[in-house]
Amino acid sequence: MAATVPAGGRVRGAAALLLGCCAAALASGVQDQAEQFFRSGHTNNWAVLVCTSRFWFNYRHVANTLSVYRSVKRLGIPDSHIVLMLADDMACNPRNPKPATVFSHKNMELNVYGDDVEVDYRSYEVTVENFLRVLTGRIPPSTPRSKRLLSDDRSNILIYMTGHGGNGFLKFQDSEEITNVELADAFEQMWQKRRYNELLFIIDTCQGASMYERFYSPNIMALASSQVGEDSLSHQPDLGIGVHLMDRYTFYVLEFLEEIHPASQTNMNDLFQVCPKSLCVSTPGHRTDLFQRDPQNVLITDFFGSVRKVEITTETLSLDSDLAGFESKLPVDELATEPLKYAEQLPVAQIIHQKPKQKDWHPPGGFILGLWALIIMVFFKTYGIKHMKHVF
Amino acid sequence: MAAPLALLLLAAVTVRAALFRSSLAAFIAERVEVASPLSAWKRVVEGLALLDLGVSPYSGAVFHETPLIIYLFHFLIEYAELVFMITDALTAVALYLAIQDFNKVVFKKQKLLIELDKYAPDVAELIQTPLEMHYIPLKVALFYLMNPYTVMSCVAKSTCAINNTVTAFFILATIKGSAFLSAVFLALATYQSLYPLTLFAPALLYLLQRQFIPVKPRSKSFWLFTLQYAALYLCSLVVIVCLSFFLLNSWDFIPAVYGFILSVPDLTPNVGLFWYFFAEMFEHFSLFFVCVFQINVFFYTVPLAIKLKEHPMFFMFVQIAVISIFKSYPTVGDVALYMAFLPVWSHLYRFLRNVFVLSCILVVCSVLFPVLWHLWIYAGSANSNFYYAITLAFNVGQILLVSDYFYAFLRREYYLTHGLHLTRPDGTEAVLVLK
Repeated sequence: MAATVPAGGRVRGAAALLLGCCAAALASGVQDQAEQFFRSGHTNNWAVLVCTSRFWFNYRHVANTLSVYRSVKRLGIPDSHIVLMLADDMACNPRNPKPATVFSHKNMELNVYGDDVEVDYRSYEVTVENFLRVLTGRIPPSTPRSKRLLSDDRSNILIYMTGHGGNGFLKFQDSEEITNVELADAFEQMWQKRRYNELLFIIDTCQGASMYERFYSPNIMALASSQVGEDSLSHQPDLGIGVHLMDRYTFYVLEFLEEIHPASQTNMNDLFQVCPKSLCVSTPGHRTDLFQRDPQNVLITDFFGSVRKVEITTETLSLDSDLAGFESKLPVDELATEPLKYAEQLPVAQIIHQKPKQKDWHPPGGFILGLWALIIMVFFKTYGIKHMKHVF
Repeated sequence: MAAPLALLLLAAVTVRAALFRSSLAAFIAERVEVASPLSAWKRVVEGLALLDLGVSPYSGAVFHETPLIIYLFHFLIEYAELVFMITDALTAVALYLAIQDFNKVVFKKQKLLIELDKYAPDVAELIQTPLEMHYIPLKVALFYLMNPYTVMSCVAKSTCAINNTVTAFFILATIKGSAFLSAVFLALATYQSLYPLTLFAPALLYLLQRQFIPVKPRSKSFWLFTLQYAALYLCSLVVIVCLSFFLLNSWDFIPAVYGFILSVPDLTPNVGLFWYFFAEMFEHFSLFFVCVFQINVFFYTVPLAIKLKEHPMFFMFVQIAVISIFKSYPTVGDVALYMAFLPVWSHLYRFLRNVFVLSCILVVCSVLFPVLWHLWIYAGSANSNFYYAITLAFNVGQILLVSDYFYAFLRREYYLTHGLHLTRPDGTEAVLVLK
């Protein structure tokens, strides 16, 4: 039959096609994976977590910050890459009925203080100036490493701020404010110095959306707990401790983050849905127009975790052992000069015996003349000219 | 009378020299009651030091003395203590001679009025006799030299003593009748501190009285003499101010001295009334209240002139007292000057009503000034209100003294012309009331 040979050829062709398709599919799978590997451009993660209020009744702000700290640490960011700024000490506050604890849920279910909290900026060190110096890197050389944000242009930075704020400002320590303009300029400095790859800015204060209104640097995504004109509310008071323990927005964010693990694929759009108005009373806002990637493609762990991309290879590499060009140069011996004694360098003798130049002031001659002429005139006017002949 | 005066001068100089040598001198020099920003010796030294360094002494609001003081102390700064002792002695001598002459005038006038039968018949006990008036000049000199206030001012080397000397010479010239010298010294006194301007009126009245020119607005000779005197005064003032310009070749001293006196920028506590008010006043009211307070000093001249035109010396005394109470930076040295005049009116003693209260107030306040200062500044257990309360009480005491003497004087004048036993038209006894 003449039809069977072409059928076999067709099957072979179909098989070849299928194989080709499979190969293409496999190749595209690798491609996909490769693409996924290089999807986000960051290689390290940093977190700057700031609580700006002091006093016992602002317990909840410290609890907010510590909750985010705890989540971020659990998801992999080490303490060396977290700058934690707490404006007041709640755990050891004399008014804390449960010392060395900071609870984030009523009935004391979750102690966010724990055993391994590393606070980098504490108490009065949390100032606007220090915060901006941390962000921009303009820090005095004596600052210890733990207080520095040593990010580079491949760092994804999470910045979380909480406290009391208003339309366009955030209050630090009840004595100063940072404005949204200052913050935007600080981020621009960071961009120009290549200090971040992508930045996620979360703020939980009243009228928080005003703080991200002024950003103008690329690759910034911002979330806020309330719009301009709205207050962010606290979640629940604990009657045993006597204060409100958390703010609503951060409470629900914490709840959301508790379900994230280092391998989850949850993306930013889910974070935007956290805490709708029914739960939060305020309307959370977000801003993504400066961000280059689609929030759909941004994983939560891109910012909250420190997922390392690891490539395993079985090849051996040989390091170049061409060290021939390196010569150690010894410094040429300089002519040894006589060591100078201190006293000889300083002309002390001259200084001691120097008399200060006296610039004496003398009344001008005209004045003296005029004065005495007047006095003599008055004298003779009173006592008569007839005395003149006794004088001359 | 020269011998007792010489003895008195010697005693005064001894007391002052002894105090200069003791450790109290530094303590007294620091006291704010004695040294005001206008008259403190530290500031004079500072100003002269600035001048030696080639800087205008008026830069920096430290030095508020006139250029003539600069000239005086430029040569005499090493002998400062001697200078101040001599000025005190000169003041005492000037007052002595002035009151001696004044007593003669008073006595003459009294004699005239008795002969003209202007006095009521039963006022023999009110007439001053030469016997009791004999020691008054000495008492005046004594009161001035031995007054603790004067001694403290001298020991503190406050330039208030120099102002007092010029004023005393002015009074001497006025009483001697020389309009020219009186105008010159008045110009000098005004040049030193602005307030003796108000002494123009009593001096004018005295000189008019001496020349027997009646004080009537229609009288031509009255206006002529007034204009002459005013012209002399103003010309001398202008000459002195212009001469001061030539000392430093700048008009800096005008805002530094007169601007300072009038606008009261320095609110260091003193025995006056200005500092506390202006320390707690809002900015936009301060101009208004400065004007009010300064007008208060000059305000009493015209009414007093109208009331006391027959008695210009008493007017002078009241005016000096008003100046030293209401001036912007008073010190106890100013108080000492008018207190020196009290023996002149010792015949008013029987009409004074508040002697005990007054002396208590003045003594207690003088004692409490350093106590409350210490409590306020050093111990920190009092505050400025305490010190100001004592200042207020001191000034109230002074005002009480002046008004008491004023009332007593008027009473005596009334009794002299109407008799000691006043009766109402229906024959019952009447009482004199000051309204």
